[in-house]
Amino acid sequence: MTPDRFADLAAAHGGDIGRWPQDLREAARAALAADPSRLGAVLAAEADLDRLLDLAPAQSADAALLGLLLEAAPKPRRSASAWWAGLAAGIGLAVATVAGVAVGVASGAGERLDRRADALLAAAYDQPEPDTAAEALPELLDEATDL
Amino acid sequence: MASEGEDPDLALLEGVGRGEQAAVRRLLDARLPRILALARRLLADPDEAQDVAQETFLRAWKQAPSWRPGQARFDTWLHRVALNLCRDRLRRRRETAMVQPPEVADLAPTGEGALLGVQIGGRIETALAALPERQREAIVLCHHQGLGNKEAAALLGVSVETLESLLGRGRRALRAALADLMEAVR
Repeated sequence: MTPDRFADLAAAHGGDIGRWPQDLREAARAALAADPSRLGAVLAAEADLDRLLDLAPAQSADAALLGLLLEAAPKPRRSASAWWAGLAAGIGLAVATVAGVAVGVASGAGERLDRRADALLAAAYDQPEPDTAAEALPELLDEATDL
Repeated sequence: MASEGEDPDLALLEGVGRGEQAAVRRLLDARLPRILALARRLLADPDEAQDVAQETFLRAWKQAPSWRPGQARFDTWLHRVALNLCRDRLRRRRETAMVQPPEVADLAPTGEGALLGVQIGGRIETALAALPERQREAIVLCHHQGLGNKEAAALLGVSVETLESLLGRGRRALRAALADLMEAVR
């Protein structure tokens, strides 16, 4: 490695040969050993700029950002049987409550039961979607391929 | 340290994909500060840096369940996403004629001698922001983020030789802009 090439590399990569491209380090160290005074001064000058660059501000993540990212992260998957059980329970309750609503309307307690029916109907359909078609339809599990 | 070719984040990413909260926390601990630093140094704006970091990781969460080993290293992928998001914001700034980057600290050197750390940091941030975009990207990716020359060149879509040229020109411009500060770090 010529001194001029060494200086070009120092100008690009800075004053620490350990941070230069790995395939150039051995030749760089050999060049430095051959001309330590001159090339050492080249490295020292670039090291000054390196130290300045290290002072460029970074920043920490605030609690709001961390909280948002934690909340938005993927949640554990529900098994297929748990998904179906949850849906069936919700639909069953909703059907029973709709029937109760009809009675409640006749008996004058309709408004309160309507609100409850609405909530249970919403819960029946507010299930996390299964991740794959095979998980949604248990009878297809025999045909499921590795995903 | 993982050997070349191994992705040190793979196990954590698979845990994230399974919805393991502990894996999410560890991955954020390991990578969020790095991406925030990248965005801050490219945009010189702490609020925009937070927005970029947020969007980068929201996209990572979408990818996690289907991440396949053997595609890009996760850290490289994060850098690519964050870099593109930063470029989008810089393009919007230009389109809205916001030519001057946000100033975060006093620019002029004090006459009194001793400079406060925050003033020096602000000067450096402003000098970085004044660089042509590609030179700034090259310096931040290589010097601050510690990416290898091949990895940085690939992210920038340039050859290693072009990357070296960008780094050299950028560092010369910074040296000229910050010449009065050199004594402060000797």
